Amino acid sequence: MKVDVQSLDTFNQLAHEGAQAATDAMAQMTGIDTHVEVTRIMLVERAALGEELADHSFVGIQFGFEGALTGETVLVFEQDQSAAIAETLLGPDANTRMAQSSIKEVGNIMMSGFLDGWADFLTATIEHDPPTYIEGKGTAILPEMKAATDQVFVFRSTIEWGGEDVSFYIYMLPEYEPLAALMAEHSLEAENAIPVEKLAAFNEMTREGARQAAANVELMSGIETTAEVSQISFAPIEAIPKQFSDDIYIGTVVEFTGAPSGFLLVLFDEPSAITVAEALMPVTMESGELTSQHKAAIEELGNIITSGFTDGWANVLQQSIDHTPPRVVHDMGQAIIDPLAAQLGQFQRHAFLIDSKMMTEELAFQCEITALPNEQELRTALSQLDPDRTTETQADVEDIF
Amino acid sequence: MKVYDGQSTEPEAPNRLKVGIAEYEVTADEAELTTSGLGSCVGVALYDTESGISGLVHVMLPVADEMRDGKPAKFADTGVELLIAEMESIGAAVETLEAKIAGGSDMLDFSKADKSIGERNAEQVRNTLSSYDIPVVAADIGGDYGRSLLFEPTTGDLVVKSANRETQRL
Repeated sequence: MKVDVQSLDTFNQLAHEGAQAATDAMAQMTGIDTHVEVTRIMLVERAALGEELADHSFVGIQFGFEGALTGETVLVFEQDQSAAIAETLLGPDANTRMAQSSIKEVGNIMMSGFLDGWADFLTATIEHDPPTYIEGKGTAILPEMKAATDQVFVFRSTIEWGGEDVSFYIYMLPEYEPLAALMAEHSLEAENAIPVEKLAAFNEMTREGARQAAANVELMSGIETTAEVSQISFAPIEAIPKQFSDDIYIGTVVEFTGAPSGFLLVLFDEPSAITVAEALMPVTMESGELTSQHKAAIEELGNIITSGFTDGWANVLQQSIDHTPPRVVHDMGQAIIDPLAAQLGQFQRHAFLIDSKMMTEELAFQCEITALPNEQELRTALSQLDPDRTTETQADVEDIF
Repeated sequence: MKVYDGQSTEPEAPNRLKVGIAEYEVTADEAELTTSGLGSCVGVALYDTESGISGLVHVMLPVADEMRDGKPAKFADTGVELLIAEMESIGAAVETLEAKIAGGSDMLDFSKADKSIGERNAEQVRNTLSSYDIPVVAADIGGDYGRSLLFEPTTGDLVVKSANRETQRL
């Protein structure tokens, strides 16, 4: 089975419009003005699904659907938001039962709009079960995936409410096989199509790259570090910067050349940067502020992570991937990725975004590794990729230092 | 119990409209217009000194011709044209429009070209505005840092925030 960029785009747009229809339905019913920030189609490891939910408390609705597509869909609000929705609908005296039923009602109307859009486009029927009210913490709120594969396709829309810094999410979790078949059916550019299993293999290879990078960090710092998540997502180029928040990040950016070429970002949030940099320094720092010494340590760390990561890819692709010396950045996340997306945007309308995260038990530290490859070159690289080689990323650490 | 009557509740003033990348918003009722995370992108705020009608567009690339994809607000030339047309459609007059622009930084430009994308974006914005004889009354362009913008129609001020710098009011 193959998917092409055109069908990925079509399906992404469909999910985005579905989410818009859903939020319009909610605005009409509640007067709550919401805005669909971003929708992306992701290929993600099952275990990593929903990591953006962190350990927050959510309520929402879930139901199964079947027909042209089969799977589960959920709409989740943060617990505090659900109280506000219930209050808007029912007034301040609403009790828990009433609140639950209003969430269920809002959710049902939103999600019917969402699925109807899909059915219309596919000119097929999608039937769905009555919604169930759900509540839970973090990823536990997401349904179990009945997938035969390790990787699942997910459509995720992030919805922002009235300019507030709060979000809720719609996840659509179709079963892999029927979705892949449907995407293959809607494929228009056969010559540019990517076999789905290669996309999955590429994800696997990226995870190995991230593991290698984590091993390098561990070797350098003595801090036990794990690569947590790896996912490949696809979105219009102008939606790429929206995948990052306005929070301040510090890290490194390189341009890599080879097959494919592109940009690789290693970004830490400020507290993580300080923690990690201090763990690497021979002397204890007095201040909790970010100094030039911290930045020097981050630059070195960024370099080591970048090398580990690109070596992982190069080994699998059996060709060299070079990169520029790292440039240190310290700015708003969106502003960092914006010029990179613009540089690619001169030649392509969509982009694949490959994310991994690294973290440790020992220290409060999180690092995001993001690759933004040239789309055409990535497709070529994938077409030449031997899926059996994806686990051969054991770069020799001696080569890196 | 509040009865649902199908009417949406009136938002509290001042309303705030968020403009994403390759998007625009116009307002005739003094809603604040915001956009965030401008790197090489440029934010163009237009203000009609007579009617008070305001608009903001967040453009990403200089020229639509380079990439035909039916998203006019993504490009400096078509984005500015679209914003002007949308403001005129709700009563603004092009003769009384003024522009304030910010963004177009050179950060992370890996291209070997003479001019960075940020510079080219800002240049195209100025060219298109000038073809309509719209004056740029204030600008905060270039540098190697990101910006977030808030336009206040009540004062006509464009507030520019950056990660490591003082907030500016243009």
